[in-house]
Amino acid sequence: MGEVPLLKELYEKYKDQGVVVVGISLDQDVKQVQEVVTSKGMSWPQVSDADQSLCKLFNVKGTPTYYLSDKEGKIAAKNLPSFKKLSEALDVLLKRS
Amino acid sequence: MGQKPFTQLFGSLLGLVLFLALTALAQNSSRPPANDREVDRVQAMVTQAKKEADQFSKSGGKADDANHPNLKWAATFWRYRLKHPGTPATKVATIQALSMLYRSNRISEMQAKADTLKLADPAWEQVINVLLYASSRTKDYSYLISKAEALTQSAADPKIKARARFNIGEAYWRKGDIDQARTAFQTVVAQYPNTDNAEEAEGNLREIEYLNVGQPAPQFDRPTLKGDPLSLAGLKGKVVVLKFWATY
Repeated sequence: MGEVPLLKELYEKYKDQGVVVVGISLDQDVKQVQEVVTSKGMSWPQVSDADQSLCKLFNVKGTPTYYLSDKEGKIAAKNLPSFKKLSEALDVLLKRS
Repeated sequence: MGQKPFTQLFGSLLGLVLFLALTALAQNSSRPPANDREVDRVQAMVTQAKKEADQFSKSGGKADDANHPNLKWAATFWRYRLKHPGTPATKVATIQALSMLYRSNRISEMQAKADTLKLADPAWEQVINVLLYASSRTKDYSYLISKAEALTQSAADPKIKARARFNIGEAYWRKGDIDQARTAFQTVVAQYPNTDNAEEAEGNLREIEYLNVGQPAPQFDRPTLKGDPLSLAGLKGKVVVLKFWATY
């Protein structure tokens, strides 16, 4: 949760370069998620994974976990445990393309 | 006269049994068994140790500082183990002592102490994980792998055997030895079906096969909280950051 402002900043910085963020929340209480999304000003789309089926699909073991996919829909980085790792991986990917 | 004396004897025996049972019950409800009380006592020590560690790090102390309270507590918990062998509280104390040494980066001291545990020791349930964390830090997996191999043969509890095999898989995976990792995870799935360890191993096997950099990201399709349709296929041409998170 402490990483939200950093992710917001990153999203604003890169959205014109075709970067989108999708939040996948593990909460059971969807209403609670909506409240937090609003109060923290997360402007990117959110889906619920209350049944943990997406966690299973991506073998996610804890939160936060980031995945990064490139413009062809291929995995560019997986199971990143922190915003710092995500930010580094994104820099590498955007320089490459 | 007939059989009356026998009934009377039975009646008084029944009374005695009832009396003993009620007495035992009364003692139980006022005083928990000694083992539980010892576990509570050790748990209280754990709480105190955590408090001291928090204070130490808040005042700027580093994890591997020689004055870190974890080191004092690791010694205390280890003394407890030596003084009270073989109780449930001993298991808690042992796990604490070794975890604290790991957190203080005293890896070789932790391993030397772990080495004194018999393979049947119930503390291995957690200690085998501590060995994995420690070897991830040092990037030296040899001690973990040899100890875990021995545990898969001789641990007291099948859960510990399963975890040991699982951690062998994790160790090879982190080392980059994918074939050995795959074999270990497959063994967990085959030998311990329908357990948490098997489920985790299946997840790792899927990751090893399908979730590598350069492979197509798994597809999904579900509405957003606002009700808009969303699919990864629909985001082709974009760089997508997926963030798994929770409000708690």
